[in-house]
Amino acid sequence: MSMRIHRGWGRYFNFSTVGSFIIALFVIVPLYWMVASSFKTQSNVSASPAQLFPVPVSTSSYTAAFNDGFAHFILNSVIVAVCTTTLVLFLGTLAGYALGRMPMRGKYPIMVTLLMISVFPTIAVVPALYVVMRTIGWLNTYQALIFPYTAFNLPFAIWILRNYFLGISRSMEESARIDGAGALRTLVQVIVPQVTPGIFTAGVFTFTACWTEFLMALSFDFGKKTIPVGIASFGAQFTVPYGAYFAASVLSVIPVAALVLIFRKAVVSGLTAGAVKG
Amino acid sequence: MKRTTPERRGTIAMSRRLKAGSAVGALASALMVAGVVGAPNAFASTRHASKVTTITWWASPISTSGPDLRLTEINAFEKANPNIHVKLETAPTSTDTNRADLVTTISGGAKSPDVFMGDVIWPGQFGAHNLALDLSKYEPKSFFNRFAPGLVAGASYKGQVYGAPFFQDQGFLYYRKDLLAADHMSVPTTWEQLKSDAVTLVKQGKVKYGFVWEGASYEGGTCDFMEYYADTGGQVLNATDTKSVLNTAKVTKALAFVRSLVTSGASPAAVDTFQEPQAMDAFQNGQAAFLRNWDYAYAEANAKGMKSAGKVGVAPLPTFAGQSYPGYSTIGGWNLYINPHSRFISADLKFINFITGVQGQNIEAHPPFSEIPTNQAVRSDPKVKALNPPFAILSKTRLIARPAQSPNYPKVSQAIFSNFNSAIAGSKSPSAAASAMASQVATAVSSSSGL
Amino acid sequence: MASTELAPGKVVAPPSRGAPPKILPDLIQRRYARLGWGFAAPALVVIGIVTIAPIVFAIFMSFEHVNVTSSGFSFTGATFSNYHLMVTSGLWQHALWWTVVYTIVTVVVELVIGTIFALVLENLTGGRGLMMALLLIPWSLITVISAELWSYIYNASFGVLDSIWPNALGTPLSATLALMVADVWKTTPFVTIIVLAGLVMIPRELFEASEVDGASSWDIFWRVTLPLLRPTIGLAVLFRALQAFGIFDLPYVLTSGGPGTSTQSLAILAYNTMFTDINFGPGAAVAVSAALLVVMMCLVFLRAFRQQVGKEEVPA
Repeated sequence: MSMRIHRGWGRYFNFSTVGSFIIALFVIVPLYWMVASSFKTQSNVSASPAQLFPVPVSTSSYTAAFNDGFAHFILNSVIVAVCTTTLVLFLGTLAGYALGRMPMRGKYPIMVTLLMISVFPTIAVVPALYVVMRTIGWLNTYQALIFPYTAFNLPFAIWILRNYFLGISRSMEESARIDGAGALRTLVQVIVPQVTPGIFTAGVFTFTACWTEFLMALSFDFGKKTIPVGIASFGAQFTVPYGAYFAASVLSVIPVAALVLIFRKAVVSGLTAGAVKG
Repeated sequence: MKRTTPERRGTIAMSRRLKAGSAVGALASALMVAGVVGAPNAFASTRHASKVTTITWWASPISTSGPDLRLTEINAFEKANPNIHVKLETAPTSTDTNRADLVTTISGGAKSPDVFMGDVIWPGQFGAHNLALDLSKYEPKSFFNRFAPGLVAGASYKGQVYGAPFFQDQGFLYYRKDLLAADHMSVPTTWEQLKSDAVTLVKQGKVKYGFVWEGASYEGGTCDFMEYYADTGGQVLNATDTKSVLNTAKVTKALAFVRSLVTSGASPAAVDTFQEPQAMDAFQNGQAAFLRNWDYAYAEANAKGMKSAGKVGVAPLPTFAGQSYPGYSTIGGWNLYINPHSRFISADLKFINFITGVQGQNIEAHPPFSEIPTNQAVRSDPKVKALNPPFAILSKTRLIARPAQSPNYPKVSQAIFSNFNSAIAGSKSPSAAASAMASQVATAVSSSSGL
Repeated sequence: MASTELAPGKVVAPPSRGAPPKILPDLIQRRYARLGWGFAAPALVVIGIVTIAPIVFAIFMSFEHVNVTSSGFSFTGATFSNYHLMVTSGLWQHALWWTVVYTIVTVVVELVIGTIFALVLENLTGGRGLMMALLLIPWSLITVISAELWSYIYNASFGVLDSIWPNALGTPLSATLALMVADVWKTTPFVTIIVLAGLVMIPRELFEASEVDGASSWDIFWRVTLPLLRPTIGLAVLFRALQAFGIFDLPYVLTSGGPGTSTQSLAILAYNTMFTDINFGPGAAVAVSAALLVVMMCLVFLRAFRQQVGKEEVPA
């Protein structure tokens, strides 16, 4: 951006370091409150005035979360989210490429239809999908979530990926000859590496959408509870188990953080590619 | 805090040991007494132990930790009925989420869960929409005689009984004995006295808030409103639950009083966002002198580490000056319902019969559970009455049911609590809120649109 | 690494990119089209199988008198009454108005803050990966828990914010603002990441040229950066607006639509009508109305951003 062109501004207290500090504060302050409270004792969680530091440090909220079956919930969530994300990225890349680059007729109506599907309120489709799931005997199975999640997240992924495909160099594609039987291989080997930031973006959004979805998980998969459904049974009537919620939340950030770290290279290089290219 | 830790449950039990002997001993003796009653049943069922039927019981967590009442009931039942296995399915703790899930599954034709624990306000709606089995078709009239008066009527819709009362709940007034004693105050018997005592204690700086209760815009607001409104002598629906008979003048009186609680400083302005947990927290943290809450609050307020521990008294709710004491307490609690698509109705009925019977009800009444039994024989047992202070005053309280026999109850309730809430917040004057409530309740009762 | 533009506008795109060359013979064109359908088919089939039937069913339900009987749903005749009820319902009107205002305000605020954040991060020389990971945390929090976190922060008995902002959830306006704060905290990172991706793809020489012209950095931002960011911002706005319009979890947990029904979104209204009041017909009508409004919004939006978002083969 523009600021870059001003040389010799304060080396350390410049726009971006001060700005980054403010951004970090913006994100961290509420997060700190969550993490700190997850380590408070049961009675200190609701102490008034609020405790700024958890003294004494207690892991009882974590014990409570695990006693309520949190290990199962996180496993179920990981299975559902990973399977869905893989499927979405595979199908979405193919479709996104076709809709972005191939001279097909009727692309525009398809894109708009996809958009409509992705915005249709889940609430309205749950009763009918429930009957379908019951009829085919899928209730309380992983596929009862993986398939609807795939279908409802694909349109968004296709939109994102298509926009990335629109931007890649035509000459590269021509030299690689998308043609005949080798088309799929060419796509995977030549074209896909160029859109890794797009794949990452679509992947992260799909993953988090699966990770946080509640209504379908509640209705179709009560036997294999994902995290949001599992924590809905924490506590009891007239209680808000903040400690256990926060402990569960801290723990459920871990897989997402791991995902980002694994793909860190893709994120960072993807997001800096343009600047390097010059 | 609101989560009851094992240690805390332990101390609650310990404090009660003085009266009831050891918690384990009390439970064991209860089981032995009840075992005699339940014996013929047990013999009958062991005869055909070859084929085991598995039924699913859908129930949200009742206590936060320590022994699980649901599992304790299941174990006792399976011991008496070896050929029936009960699988527990833990339902969401939010009543609305719980209901939404049941509506989706049962209207979608699910055969499981077989038995579900549902709110006492569901019979009208679940009966009207075929979401629960009509128990009166399967059980003789005599079966329902075991329940305390009024509870079966509450579980009925159009003369049919849809739910078997499992445990009861009701509003109580909790107060800080130490604060009242220091100022030589007596336990308030009128709302007016409660208000002036609360103001006095706040002005003296002894507490931050005087009186805390549930004023948020949710079902609990309807519970609290019903108590004030019934104390004015008002009624919500006619005898057949088909028409609103809300009396605007009486509603205005009730609403003007709750608004004055806030304006006088007796209650905090934030009470309009308080649900049970917030009210409980304020009281436990020593911030409030008076609390309106349910049965569970006695143990919570006396839990180890809480500022209110050991200083809490419980009494029936007050009423308005000029009315006869005590005031009304709204009925809460949970019933057992059967999924109309269940394949094992006779096993379902056996299970319900057991946990609403003397043995099952003794289990829930005794520590560490301390739920109010619905079975009259257990309730009136002097040993049960002696278990804890809320039980001891049960027979002195006066109960009022919410107008849940209307199949449109959720809309009726919303009309009540949203206007109750507006009046507390002062965004509508008491009279404006009262007339809005009257017209909205009238519409809600007569129309099934939901919008 | 090759260029990875989100959506190339005509300004940036060198001649070799963008529109497909017209020189390809018809035969190859046709073969490519067939191949394209082959690539797109699996995704379209999955979407079609899973989503079309339930959506059609929901639309059908919104035109029917629906009852729940002991053998499932029963339909007792086509009707417009669900929609008539809905349109004349004060609850619906309020929910619509509230949802629209909420969407506009949060999206605009998130867009402004998110763009500023992206500009800051783009200039950061070290630690960008760390900042990215940090930004992703609020976004990936389970919405229900993030709502509980804010209910904990706003709590009137022991919340940290209560002394500064007492009774935050107590009045309609304050509760709406409280929801917006929670929403901005959680979703600004989403906007930041999308805008940042667009920002780093702007060729650096464009800035250098402006610098030579002696433009101030403020001028460069308005005249170079922002116009080039338009497609990216368009995409971010589109998706954020769609999400915000369907907002459910946050107000459901934090305010339950209160005080009164003042923070009830269309999605909450649909949910309550279907599952709390057990009125599937009118509830489906509300859900369909929300979907319709969003689609209309999208179409208007696509028209405005046609060049960038719906690039290629958009009928004029």
